[in-house]
Order: sequence, then structure tokens, then C-alpha cells
Amino acid sequence: MGEVILQMKDIDKSFPGVHALDHVGFEVRRGEVHALMGENGAGKSTLMKVLTGIYKKDSGSIIYKGKEVEFHNTREAQDNGVVIVHQELNMVGDLSVAQNIFIGREPRKGLRIDDKKMIEDSKALFDRLRIDIDPTEKMSELTVGKQQMCEIAKAISHNAELIIFDEPSAALTEKEIEDLFSIIRDLKAQDLGIIYISHRMDEIKVITDRVTVMRDGGYVGTLITADCTKEDIINMMVGRVIYEKPKEKSLVPDDAPVVLKVEHLNAGKMVQDVSFELRKGEILGFSGLMGAGRTETARAIFGADPKQSGDIYVNGEKVEINSPEDAVKHGIGYLSEDRRRFGIVVGKSIVENSTMATLEEYMNGIFINKGKEKEAAERYINELGTKTPSSDQLVVNLSGGNQQKVVIAKWLVRNSDILIFDEPTRGIDVGAKNEIYKLMNRLAAEGKSIIMISSEMTEILRMSDRIVIMCEGRKTGEVKIEEATQELIMDKATRQMS
Amino acid sequence: MEKFKQNPLVKKLGFNRIVLCGVLILMYIFFSILVPAVTGSQFAGMSHIMGALNYAYFLGFLSLGVTFVIATGGIDFSIGPVMFCCGLVSGYCLMTYNMPLPVCLLISVLIGALFGLWNGYLVAYWSVPPFIVSMASMNMAKGIASVFTKTQSVSWPRSTDANGWFRNLIKMGGIPTGLICFLVAAVICAIILNNTRFGRYIICLGSNKEAVRLSGVDTRKWQMFAYLMCGLLVGIATIFFVGTYTTVQPGYGDQYNNEAIAGCVMGGTSMAGGLASIGGTVIGVFIISLLQEGILALKLTKDVQLIITGLIVIVAVYADVMARRRKN
Amino acid sequence: MQKKKSLGILSDQKGIVFIIVILLYIFFSIISKDFRKYSTLVMMLDSTYYILLMAIGVTFPLITGGVDLSIGTGMICYGLTGGYLVVQKGFPTWVGLLVAVSFGLIIGIINGVLIAIMDLPPFLATLCTCMMTRGLGSICAKSFAIPWPGAKADGGWFHAIFKLTVGAGRKAMNYPVGVIVLAVIVLIMSFVLNHTRVGRYTIAIGSNKEATRLSGVNVKAYHITAYAISGLFAGLASLAYAAAIPTIQPGTGAGLELDAIGGAIVGGVSPTGGAGSIIGTMLGVFVIQLLKTGLPYIGLEANWQQIVTGLVLIGAVLIDVIKQRRAALEG
Repeated sequence: MGEVILQMKDIDKSFPGVHALDHVGFEVRRGEVHALMGENGAGKSTLMKVLTGIYKKDSGSIIYKGKEVEFHNTREAQDNGVVIVHQELNMVGDLSVAQNIFIGREPRKGLRIDDKKMIEDSKALFDRLRIDIDPTEKMSELTVGKQQMCEIAKAISHNAELIIFDEPSAALTEKEIEDLFSIIRDLKAQDLGIIYISHRMDEIKVITDRVTVMRDGGYVGTLITADCTKEDIINMMVGRVIYEKPKEKSLVPDDAPVVLKVEHLNAGKMVQDVSFELRKGEILGFSGLMGAGRTETARAIFGADPKQSGDIYVNGEKVEINSPEDAVKHGIGYLSEDRRRFGIVVGKSIVENSTMATLEEYMNGIFINKGKEKEAAERYINELGTKTPSSDQLVVNLSGGNQQKVVIAKWLVRNSDILIFDEPTRGIDVGAKNEIYKLMNRLAAEGKSIIMISSEMTEILRMSDRIVIMCEGRKTGEVKIEEATQELIMDKATRQMS
Repeated sequence: MEKFKQNPLVKKLGFNRIVLCGVLILMYIFFSILVPAVTGSQFAGMSHIMGALNYAYFLGFLSLGVTFVIATGGIDFSIGPVMFCCGLVSGYCLMTYNMPLPVCLLISVLIGALFGLWNGYLVAYWSVPPFIVSMASMNMAKGIASVFTKTQSVSWPRSTDANGWFRNLIKMGGIPTGLICFLVAAVICAIILNNTRFGRYIICLGSNKEAVRLSGVDTRKWQMFAYLMCGLLVGIATIFFVGTYTTVQPGYGDQYNNEAIAGCVMGGTSMAGGLASIGGTVIGVFIISLLQEGILALKLTKDVQLIITGLIVIVAVYADVMARRRKN
Repeated sequence: MQKKKSLGILSDQKGIVFIIVILLYIFFSIISKDFRKYSTLVMMLDSTYYILLMAIGVTFPLITGGVDLSIGTGMICYGLTGGYLVVQKGFPTWVGLLVAVSFGLIIGIINGVLIAIMDLPPFLATLCTCMMTRGLGSICAKSFAIPWPGAKADGGWFHAIFKLTVGAGRKAMNYPVGVIVLAVIVLIMSFVLNHTRVGRYTIAIGSNKEATRLSGVNVKAYHITAYAISGLFAGLASLAYAAAIPTIQPGTGAGLELDAIGGAIVGGVSPTGGAGSIIGTMLGVFVIQLLKTGLPYIGLEANWQQIVTGLVLIGAVLIDVIKQRRAALEG
């Protein structure tokens, strides 16, 4: 490890209602891969956004290459050699790979953009990184994994001295992850500083030199990776909230009736011949990498996206589901991974959101019975322990965990028996997460059946009675909780089908 | 100021609406001073108020209609030409084919509704961008009206004519019945928007269509109904237009789009959808109507009004954009 | 990929539109003898120049995912203002032309600022400028109808840009030189769209504005540029309009934007942004203009044209929607 390339001291940042960063310190040396860890919402991404100028810090200082700096935008950060490989892909789908890599700094001959040089340079870059991608291909036609590699190539091509990888492996297959690691090792050898954000403990152990852990917007500590165990890191991440051990055995009796049966479901590339059963009172975990087709499967079952073929049986009866309306009629509820976009109407009140799926039952002739509606909403505020001053509160003012409870309330008001929880705890802080877990267990005990899609292994192992694993649009395995191990699931989740 | 905003009565009436009323009154005072100073004739007094009100009726119905569409996050700027199409086709039926008046009025409402349905169907079921649908409908309305009337203008019967009784809807004796009709319609619209499933769904889908759809609501149907509602109100607006101005010429009507949209967005309905205020729209319509009367009284041309209305819309929408930016 | 290539010319919307253009021309020519005449062709071209110029310009805002509704009334406004200076105030023609074009550019930049900086919805901002330019045109020209100098009159030289008349009287021969001028402009703008930063970022903004911004592109500046180009071309269109139409009437122009925007969309510009080409736009405009010119020759009165154009526009968008839905299902 070389000299310190980046030092962030006492960084503080608040958003309305949230103290996102509480006097955080962080440093990176040249030739080091420094992991930044923490639960969702711990402030890792915010810290990196402050570094790269997307957010402005409230106080504190950033010392980069020995000088205090403040970047005002990503461009300025890039020009100084600080680049970020985003978690969410930032690609211009209608442009080619080469055009994407050089966007904003195209080589030119006079007025004309020198596309030929761009393509050659991209080829050289890919050769150096040993990536096999055609630079002239349209970006939107690549797989998610390849798009991710392009993003990395783009970052590296900026003559970077400090590279931030924000969960780069979430969408990659095992093979691609290995390629990524060899790239990172090369970069390390070139004395670059590397920040690596990931949830995957195994990766952290393999590729990083030091680990800094954050929790609830605060700095917890920094460890040398080689000298610590997974448990040390986990303890730092979760703090006083202690995670339950994985579920030992399924709580569902073997003779529990099948409430939902899906057979040979096909919907585009992401859902190919998926079949499974869901029993009454069961929590069925859906595991897999980002882009494995789990959300697409859920959406196809729910009728949110069109499907090409496949049969769905609810309580043994074959049903036609062509729209969410049909699904809801058959007692299915869907909690989206992206609450703000698909779950709630943020500008409306808790009451309005709670009765969204059931409004026809709260009518007085053609008029809405607002009293009855409010009553129902308040019943579930109490039952779920939603923290809000009143039921008229706009949902936008609630925290992530409480917003999630409003979405759950919507389906409980509807009395849905089959609930699909898609990444139910994404972006929710640790305390609220535990509450959601308890709630799910309670619902299952009350006889509701739950499909839980999750990318967090601990969550899958902790909650599920049975686990379905998907990879590249296909179901690649199904294991009982008694037999499930991280390694087994990971193996199936990265299995190449072709 | 903050204290005033927190006052329960102010909260109930809505701070923005109180400000709008203030603007309306100030504008009246402004014209009352400026018009005599510039032209030497009076502005204060009933005749100009009646002039403004006459303008407010049909514009009000247009504005109420477009409020429903804007609440869904869409737009319809075919309403002006569609109103002209309604007036021309039904008027032509009345004058040339001697159809009974009630039938003609019904035809007018029906044409409006059909255009609304067509626009709504394309937007909701085929995801055609609303501005494209509006643009196409605007020209189709003009084309249909011209083809139907063979590019002739149409004059509706005067109040003394045999079929003139329908003008009682606008003015009966000295009573401005049009005002009553408009206000009653506004109250009904407000109830529909705030107390029915239709209203709840269109406002919510204007804010987040996907979330509403994933709650099992047939969003496409309700979204189409919003355009249908708009079309119906445009059809009704026609009756008040021809009852006030008698003659309808083919090929026109565009300017009323902007004025109707101006009344709506000024009243606090957000162009981004999800937020609508019928009360605000009513006051907004009165402001636009008074403005047009004032401009006429100042002996300025319609052109000035086009420019001022354009500026008003820009300012009103920008204010909404700023308000939303501050929230985020 | 292989499948696409084997379809050849039909795989591309441009190819299909090109075939439609040919078929339409043949169709009208077979039905109507008058349509086949050279003079009809020249007349049709005359009214195509200004629509095509507007369409080339509006292609840029459309590709950003926006729209410019102000081009129709704008074109009239710029033509009136420039013409007023020439006809009523006695300025030389070139001053009038320059004023018209700069006026267009200014309105375009204003549109850009309203949309890129102030975040107004494009259709709304340009609907406002549409109405405002209509008012401004009348005010600038003092509500006069403006006859620009005729082809033979003093200062009428600009007609020769679009139509060269050789000889006089019955022997006079009209050469549509505008075809060459427009072809050059189409090539230049194709180059701008495909091989310069302006074009590249126009596409990028329409495809993924946020990603473009995060790549360090000054998105606002290029967004404004797209609207400035649209305004500039509406200004240029006013020259072609002045050359084609003897007298410019204040208060007109509404509806012409439909022909231009419709042409662009028929030619394959995606109404949701991110894709489009100048050649496609040109072909799309030909389709619209053929229908517009041809309908009266098959016995439909001119007013049908508005209805047909509206339907063609909706049809073109529906094809795009269906394509996208199918792609979404496959992808």
C-alpha cells in the first residue's frame, strides 16, 4: 500500500428529515482496494456522491492527492481522476458501446466526431481488460452484465487514479466476477486507489485490503481484511440489532394446501419456462442475481407485464390473469421492489393509498365513504405500527419502512391471501427491517402465503421456508431451508444454462 | 405571512385561491383606473362585467374539462377547435337541415364526447403521447368542420328567433343564468373530482399511474374517461359559445386552448398531474375573462391577449415546477 | 440480427417510407392526368420546401423527446416581420431575410430556455410560444398582410433560391432549384445529426438525459441548441414560404406544424425520443405532401387533407407503439 490518495474528514450531510452522514471519516491509499460496507441506507452511496460532487457536503473536508478539493459535478471529479462505476447503469441505450464510452469527450476531426478512432480506442481498451464486446453494437442490445463491463471500461478509460465500484458484481455471473477481479488486481498493481462497495462478504474477503464499515450514516470502524472474520464485519454493520440465525426448518406442514401453482410460465427473455408451487402459510424465497428474472416472473404472474404462455392455478383452479386487476381479484397482492415508482402514490395521503386496491368497497352509491375509508386505514396504522402523526399524512413524508407498511396495508385491506414481496427491505433501515420481518412471519402464521424476492442472502436464509433460485430467466434450483447454504444457492444462481 | 397561511380558515379556502381572488380584484381595479385614463370611457360598471362573464361561461366549461385531463398528467389542446367543430356541425344541422334544436344541442355534446373518447382511447390504450393526439385531433376537428359545412361559417339563431330560447341558458331577463349554470357545473365537477372513484383514480394515476395500475385498478379505462369527461364539457361549452357569440367560423378556435389551459394551471392544477383544484380553475377562468375584457376595453387587439395569455401560462407552470423542485 | 439483414430495405422504416412515397406518386399519377403534369410537380415542390425546412428543424427537438409546436405560426411571424421591413419600410431584401431568420433563432432559443432551464413541459412551452408568435406576427406587421417582392420585382431575387424561372411569358420555364438547395441542407443536417457533438448529444438526451448529464455533458446547452435549430429552420422556412406564397396573412400558420411534425414522425423519428434521421424526415414529409397535393386530384376537397394528415400521424405513432410493445415482450 502506498501513500494516502484520498482522505475524507468529518463529512456531514443532512437531507430534510434525515441525517444521512454524521461526521464520517474515510481514507484510501494508493494500491489498495478499500471496501466500504454497511446495510442499505447506511450512507455509503451518499458518501460517494458527496465525493464525486453529486451532493454538496454540509461540512467536513476532502483531501485528494494532498490538496483539499471540492468537486461540483461528476465531470469535474472525472477530470481529476475520480470516477465512479454506478450501481444503477447509466447508459444511453440508443448509442453504440463506443459512443457511450466516449460520451462527453469524443475525439474530433474538425467538427466531425472521429467515430473510427473511438471504435479503435474502445477495442484497445477492451483488449487490455480482456473483455469481449463489439464496440459498434447498440448499448441497449447488450446483456446487463456486459453493460456493466462497459461502464467499468468507461470509468477506467478516464485515466482514473481513484475508482469507486458501487456494487459492481450485483448483475454479474461468476465468470464475469472473476474477470472483474482480475481487472481490479491489474488496477491495483498500477497504484490506483480503489473503493469497493458490496454486500457480498465472500468478495470482500477475496479482493479487498481494508474494510470500512458504516451504520445509520455514521462511521463505525476500519479493519484490515486479512485480520478479521466475516462475523467481525457483520457485528460492526448491524450493531446492537442482532440478526436471527437462519431458519432451521420449514414451519409449513407437509400437507399444507397449494394456493398458487405456476406452470411453464414464459414472458420474454427474462422468464423462461418457470414452474413452482406456493403453499398456504409458506414464505417462498426467490433468490438470484440482479437481472435473473425474479421480478419479471413476479410481474408476469401478477399480470403487470404480458406473458406469452403458461398456466396459473389459484387454490387449485386455473385462472386467467392478464392484468393486475385480474390478479387482485384472485387475491394476489404485489409489493414492488421500487416502492416510490410502483408501490405508492407519494403525493397522496395514507388513507388514499391504503384503500387504493379496494375502493369499490368504500362507496356510498357513487360517492366515496371517507369516514369508513379512514377507519380502515387507521386500523392498519395501529396493527402494523406505522409511525405517522395522522392518517391524512402524505406518504411522501414517511420513512422508507413506514412507506412499505402503507403498501402492505393496501393489500391487507384488500384481504389478499397471496403476497409477493419484491425486495421488501430495500432502502429500509435496520430497525424497520426487523419489523418487516416480524410482520411477514406473522402474516405467514396467520395463513397468508408469501413469495419473497430478495438479493440479500441473509434475508433469504432467515425468512424462507423454501427457496427457488433463478438465473438468466430460468429456474435453476429449488431447495428446502433445511438443506440451504449460501454456497449452494450461489452456485445455482450463477449456473450457466446454455 | 406564515401565520396567515396557518390560519384554519385560510387553510380551508386554500392560500393560493385567496391570492388568486386578490389578483382578480386588483386586476379589476387596475382596469377601472387604466381604461378611463387611456380611452376616456368607463370600465367599472355592469356592462364590462357582463362582457367578462359572457366570456367566462364557455371558457369555464373548456377549462373545467381540461382540468380533468391535466389532473391525469396529460394535455388536450384540441379543445378549442373541437368546440368550433361542435358548433359548426350542429349549427349546420340546425340551419341547413332544419333539425330540431334540442337534437342539435345533443349532437354538439355528442361530437365533443366522441372526440374525447377518441383522444382518451389513443392516449390510454395505445400510449400515444397526448400532445400528438391533441395535434392530430385539433387538425381533424378543423378538417371535419370544414368538410361538413363546406367551409361556410354558421350563424346560430338570435334570442328573438324561433329557436332562440336556448339563450335563456346564458341570460334570462336580466339574470345571468349562464353564471349559475357554470357554477353549478363547477360544483358538480368538484364533487366528481373529490368524492367519486373516478376522481380519486384519475388524480392518483396522474401522480403515479404504475402504482395505481399495480393496485389492480383498470387505469386505462379511467384515464380514457378523463378525456371523455373533457370532451363532454367541451360539447357543453359549445352551447354557451354559440349562445353568446352566434357566429362560428371554420378553421379557428386554437386561441381558446391556451386560455382554457391558462385558467386551469393558474388555479393550481399541476401540469405534472396528480393535483387539481376546480375552485382554482373557476377563479382562473374569471381572471382570463376579465383580462380579455380589459384588453378589449383598452382598444388593444386580440394579439396582445395571445401574448399575455402565453406569458401567464408560462409563469403559472414555472411556479408549479419551482414548487415541486422545492419539495424534492 | 441476421433476420433483420435478410429483410434488406424493408427492415428500415426509411426503406418502407421510400416505397410508400413511390407508390403514392404512382397511384395519384395513374388516377389523375393532371397530377402527372410537370407544373403540378413544381407546385408541389414549392409547398414542400417550407414544410421540409420546418421538419428538418423540428426533428432535433423531437429526438430529444420534446416537440416544437411553435414552428408553424412562428414561420408566419418571422416572414411577416421580415417582409414588413422590406415592403413597408423599404429595407433591402437581405435585411428582411436576415431579420426573419434571426427572429426564428431567437424564439428557438427562448423555447430552449423555457424547456431546458425552466423545466417546462415542451408541448406546453411551445404551445405558448406558438400563440405568442401568432400575436407578435400581427403586431410586428401592424396587422398588414405582407406581399414579399415577387420573383420579377426588385428584391425578388430570393425566389431563385427555390425556383428559377428562365424565359418569359408562355415560354417561361420553371426549374425547381430548391430541390438542390434542400438536398444540400438535408446532407448538412444529416452530418450534424450523425457526426457532430450537437447531433450525438441530441440523441443522447432523448435516450437517457440523466446518464448523459452524469457523463459530464452540458446537457442544458445542447438541449437549448436542439430548440435553437428548430427555431432557425422555422426562420429559413419563412423564406421558402415567402417565395412560394404571394402574400403572407397574419393569424395563419396554425396547423402547418402538424405537416412538419407528422412528416418527421412518419419518417421514423420516435415520438418518445432517442431515434430519428434527417433522410427519414425528408421522406416522411414527401408522404404528407403527396397526400396533401394529391387528394384534390382524386376528388377529395382540400379540407380532407387535415383529416388525413391527422390520421396518418396517429397511424405512424401507433406503428411505433406496436413495435415497442413487441420489442418489450421479446427483450
